[in-house]
Amino acid sequence: MSAVRAVRSRRRVRPGAVVQWVVIAAMFVLLAGPLVWQLSLALKGMGDDLYAKPPQLIPTDPTLSNFGDVLARVPVPRYVLNSLVVAFFVVLGNVIGATAAGYALARLRFRGRGLATAIFLIAMLVPVETVIVSQFLLVRSIALQDTLLGVALPTMVAALNILLLRNAFANIPDELEEAAVLDGANAWQRFLRVCVPQVKGVITVVAIFAFVGSWNDFLWPLLVLSSDDNYTLTVGLNRLRGTFYDDPRLIAAGTIVALVPIIVFFSFLQRYFFRGLESGGLKG
Amino acid sequence: MRKRSSTGVIAGTFVLSLSLAACGSAGGPAAGSGGADGEIGGEITFQTWNLKNEQYTPYFEALVDAFEAEHPGTTVNWVDQPAEGYQEKLSADATAGTLPDVVDMGPEAAYTLGSAGAILDIAEADPDAESDYLDKAWEAMTFDGLGGGTYGYPWYLNTGPSFFNTALFEECGLDPDDLPETYDELFEQARTMGENCDDVSMMARLPVIETFGEYGAQLMNEDGTAYAYNDAAGVELVESFKELYEGQGLTEESLNNLQTNEVEEFKAGRLAYLQGSSYTLNDLKETAPDIYDNIAMGPRIANTAPNMYIESLVVNASSANQATAIAFAKFVTSSENQLEFAKEASVFPSSAGTLEDPYFTEEDGTPETEVRVTTAEQVGEAVVWWPPAFSGAGDAETLREQIALALLGDTSVQDALDASVQYSDERLAAGQ
Repeated sequence: MSAVRAVRSRRRVRPGAVVQWVVIAAMFVLLAGPLVWQLSLALKGMGDDLYAKPPQLIPTDPTLSNFGDVLARVPVPRYVLNSLVVAFFVVLGNVIGATAAGYALARLRFRGRGLATAIFLIAMLVPVETVIVSQFLLVRSIALQDTLLGVALPTMVAALNILLLRNAFANIPDELEEAAVLDGANAWQRFLRVCVPQVKGVITVVAIFAFVGSWNDFLWPLLVLSSDDNYTLTVGLNRLRGTFYDDPRLIAAGTIVALVPIIVFFSFLQRYFFRGLESGGLKG
Repeated sequence: MRKRSSTGVIAGTFVLSLSLAACGSAGGPAAGSGGADGEIGGEITFQTWNLKNEQYTPYFEALVDAFEAEHPGTTVNWVDQPAEGYQEKLSADATAGTLPDVVDMGPEAAYTLGSAGAILDIAEADPDAESDYLDKAWEAMTFDGLGGGTYGYPWYLNTGPSFFNTALFEECGLDPDDLPETYDELFEQARTMGENCDDVSMMARLPVIETFGEYGAQLMNEDGTAYAYNDAAGVELVESFKELYEGQGLTEESLNNLQTNEVEEFKAGRLAYLQGSSYTLNDLKETAPDIYDNIAMGPRIANTAPNMYIESLVVNASSANQATAIAFAKFVTSSENQLEFAKEASVFPSSAGTLEDPYFTEEDGTPETEVRVTTAEQVGEAVVWWPPAFSGAGDAETLREQIALALLGDTSVQDALDASVQYSDERLAAGQ
């Protein structure tokens, strides 16, 4: 019967489906369009008119030399390594710190729990820009300026991630943990063996947010780092900007270079990512 | 001019925390040892802004070597900062006391750091230096708002010709042999162009503070304590833009456009006139060859003096080796070294007499030389219109928004300029 229905619906196009596809197509153009344009720009050679009317998507003088130029001007492998080190600290810090804090706030009873949660909420409302100078003074006072740890430190346990995990832990039914208590499990065992496996998906989301946030951050690493050798990729790629005017092809090629590791990271974790999105806040 | 970053919110916060920091360190300057009379020696750090690349690195390395050879016992560490976020980096470093000894910056940043006491008043520390530079370059680094101190050794200058796309002039019924030379002609031809062509316009950006100066408005009062560009000339300038906008001679996008958008419009062949700089010609040649084939150049359009931009080298007020820092800043901005840099970077020297070098006076028939020689003449008349206390984020943005409101008819031109002046006056008063 379902086969019959499928055949029928293929013949008669439902208006709903049309709207659906139009919306999907529009979203694709909106989200992927700029990226495709950057890629096309990065592949254009000197013979291409960048400002042609109407804009050309397919390069007439395609070349890979822009990527070669990026690699020649900027020590990309070194900066990728620096960025990975920072991202490693940030992801690890958030996965461990935010999970532990989220669990404590959601499931342990202690004095000041409500206050602690409120402080994390309020912390989220403060724009980074207003505290970035005092943050810088702090990092300097513990002699971490111009180090990768100094770059990672302020975002190693982010308030948003703590709240995400707090909510995830809060949604686990009490019965589950009560059963574990009856079996004689202590707080650590209940945390690691019973509760953490329930929120794996959210932890993955947190890991991805932390990675992408740290990978794309520009202003903070710029302030903390002062020697070329320590630059992260986003700061280092800024070197592609010309002193007086820019070559848009080169900047586009740099953007693509910076994007590749994120795409790799995402494709490794995407299975977990979607599972995390589905489970987030709905479970229980 | 270097590209200005558009990180508005942040810049304001920085200024605030800077002035707080300045209050704390009671009497900031004077902390440095040695002063201008101290002995030259030891290690200093010299910071440039986005000048470390294959084109300029050899120049700076040679410069550092030459200085170290001239003054044995000195070491100069050259560091460079990326293009974006420079103002923020400077403010954070000044607040934390980690500013390098000699730093490359424009008057706007120097004004902020000067008002916080983070950088040296050169007129006080090294009064003899004044005669080494063009008067107006020295004046541009002398800030009335900060008690008349001079806060940086003038370095390079930049201004440029007007660029016209002659193909668009022909297409829209204008004579490419009769290009506009005054603001009146420019507005008149812009109106004609708006009537004859739908997707082409003469201008693509609202007037900015430099435009007011070039048009003949008085930007600030005599002692630099209040803005005054809401005078008759200022109103007349904005009225002309309003008339142009109402006659379809100015697109709606132009209300939001920044200088980079303007350049893009010109490269895309939708804009007929562009106020260029000395490197615009090379830029067009490399990225928009079709447009390059059709351009004509003329002197910068101005009722008063044409505009120019200045870059300077400031000395950290708490530098441990101030004498060396001063010696190095003077070395980089000396006539000989500025001439060398001007040749590398197609900019213009601010040192006295350097513009008389044959490099800036003798033509050899190529378009590049022609631009250089005529622009060098223009530098002779040009003025740095941008008031150093005028912030690129808060003040310039408010001015643009107010003019946009006036053009849209939401407020009168006079009211819009009054509001913008009031905003900037309040900022100015709060900063002192």
